[in-house]
Amino acid sequence: MSDHPSPKPGSSSSLSDGELLHAHEQAVADKTDDRGSYKLLPLVLLFTFSGLIFFGGTYLNLFSGHFDPRIFDERALPHTVDTSVKMDPVVYGKKLYESLCINCHQPTGLGVPGTFPPLAGSEWINGSEERIVRILENGLKGPITVKGMNFGTVPMPAVGAGGANWSDDKIAAVLTYVRQAFGNTSGPVTEEKVVEIHAKIGAHAEWSPEELLKLP
Amino acid sequence: MTQVTSNALSESDTSSRWPLSLLLCAALKWLVLAGVLSVISTIQLHTPSFLADCSWLTHGRTQALQETIFIYGWAANVGFAVALWLLGRLGGAPLRGLGLLTAGTVFWNLGVAFGLVCIAMGEATGVPFLQMPAYVHPLLLVAYAAIATPGILAWTGRRQRATFATQWYAVAALFLFPWLYSAAQVMLLGAPVRGIGQAVVAVWFGQNLLSLWLIPIALAAAYYLVPKLTGRTIANYDFAPHGFWALLFFGAWTGTRQLVGGPVPAWIPTMGIVATLIVLFHYVIVALNLRGVLCGDKRDIALRFVSFGLVAYLIGGIFDAIFAFQTFAEVVQFTYFPMAQLKLALVGAYSFLILGAVYYLAPRITGLAWPSSGLIRMHFRLMVLGTLVTVVSLGMAGWTQGHALLDAKLSFAAIAASTRPWLLAATAGEAILLLGSLVLTVHFFLLQAAAGCSTFGSTAPAMEASAS
Repeated sequence: MSDHPSPKPGSSSSLSDGELLHAHEQAVADKTDDRGSYKLLPLVLLFTFSGLIFFGGTYLNLFSGHFDPRIFDERALPHTVDTSVKMDPVVYGKKLYESLCINCHQPTGLGVPGTFPPLAGSEWINGSEERIVRILENGLKGPITVKGMNFGTVPMPAVGAGGANWSDDKIAAVLTYVRQAFGNTSGPVTEEKVVEIHAKIGAHAEWSPEELLKLP
Repeated sequence: MTQVTSNALSESDTSSRWPLSLLLCAALKWLVLAGVLSVISTIQLHTPSFLADCSWLTHGRTQALQETIFIYGWAANVGFAVALWLLGRLGGAPLRGLGLLTAGTVFWNLGVAFGLVCIAMGEATGVPFLQMPAYVHPLLLVAYAAIATPGILAWTGRRQRATFATQWYAVAALFLFPWLYSAAQVMLLGAPVRGIGQAVVAVWFGQNLLSLWLIPIALAAAYYLVPKLTGRTIANYDFAPHGFWALLFFGAWTGTRQLVGGPVPAWIPTMGIVATLIVLFHYVIVALNLRGVLCGDKRDIALRFVSFGLVAYLIGGIFDAIFAFQTFAEVVQFTYFPMAQLKLALVGAYSFLILGAVYYLAPRITGLAWPSSGLIRMHFRLMVLGTLVTVVSLGMAGWTQGHALLDAKLSFAAIAASTRPWLLAATAGEAILLLGSLVLTVHFFLLQAAAGCSTFGSTAPAMEASAS
């Protein structure tokens, strides 16, 4: 053929479209292998593909961070990075307070006279950490005096394992928040302290005020 | 008078002549415009003050414009013409729905023109390959449906049950584009996904526009032209389906390799790297199937375009795989190097393969030979020279720039100065490519003019002039 790509009629070498389809259909048709011929190419391609898949799979295993969405460095492994974020316990505690405690103790922390004791200025809240941690872990039942007023008609449900199932860090956070809100000025309750008390008491029914008052 | 005989000019070719010519004319017009804007935007890389006073032609806009014109103007229009022609040929019947095709072509090109004006006015979205503003894309999607209809009808109404690799690639491209395009529109412009999800969708779209839309059309042309021009069936054709599915299945995952080191979970770029590697299997099969191109007549110009395109495609695939790896990606990321890779894929592979098809089909739909073999040779040489110069100089610019950027002691100005010679060379390369496009366009309009004379005027002189 010349420089021109134009077709040359009658050129024996060119395939018509029909011949093109037919010839290639023949090429992929299943043929009986009468001569028992051995073809190397399919095997080579199979090995090539398997090799690529093997290499790719290994590479993916090494550098994918086990498909952990929090891993941004492909050389890191999930357990080697601590991606947890420490929140300010006061902010966290406020969120927790507003999700549960607020229902009875009110946004003001003043409670409802005669039914729900106040947290603002309460000698219990600002007193022994030992006692309030136990109240949150297991609940409180029985007559109780807060700021000279009597309560106890409605028991305080457990917030820890027996009730709302809050973890120790949540209990520490909400106590820390309450002890500095509503005009209270007591220090924070650490998570370590809550864990320590939790381990000491184990599973326990609701506490009564008398039991708690014996504690330091 | 050689052309208007026997199987050279089938009924299917003559009936689709005007709609396909319209697509090709539109494509060539955009190609020249894309060339002009490429030259401008490349000049601005080394001389930032060039046209800086004209807000319509500042670098951010010329870059977005040339990229959009090249993809949606040139590559899309010429790809439609080639894909539809191939499906019509292999369907064994004249294309149906040509009225829809013409209407679709008109609206597609009006939509692109409108989108370009919007970009020039500063409305670009900033998403690579999806720069036109959100309100333009739905029009293009509807126009696309009209354009693709004849291709789908030719496929579903084909005369023979047997199918050929060309048909798989062309039909896959016709069906995959609306999926990619509509998904990207919704997830990036309509109801944008949040945070880094946008970056992931953007690279997915950008890569697949190439791997799942343009490249399949180019490969459809290559699978058709190689046996046609060499007169032999495809070698090891029984493996062709594996090559096809390897591209479709793994090719869709390769885009995220560009996010390496980015603020995305590590597995996303790693997945892209692995997919880029496994796609090499597709390249092996394509090389195996189309190696017959080297045995063909070297003087056949369509075959020369296809040969160059295939070699560029294979080299591009290998380079993609090598430079996907962290060690190299860290150097070449955010440099001119990815631009060189894109140039190699869009011009070296896609344009060359598709131009081979254009040189083959234009005489068949017009019924006339190309007026001048000299112009064809000139176009080929300019294209080869322009592509090599642009790709090599951008690649070298990117490589030196990448190493320099990793050295904290070098100032940014010093790095910019060190890449300047390469960028000047790249500008020259772009200018050569533009010249080549002009030669092709002039030649194509000469062919159309001759064909027009032979249809409407006294036919004899034109036909004699064209006979060779």
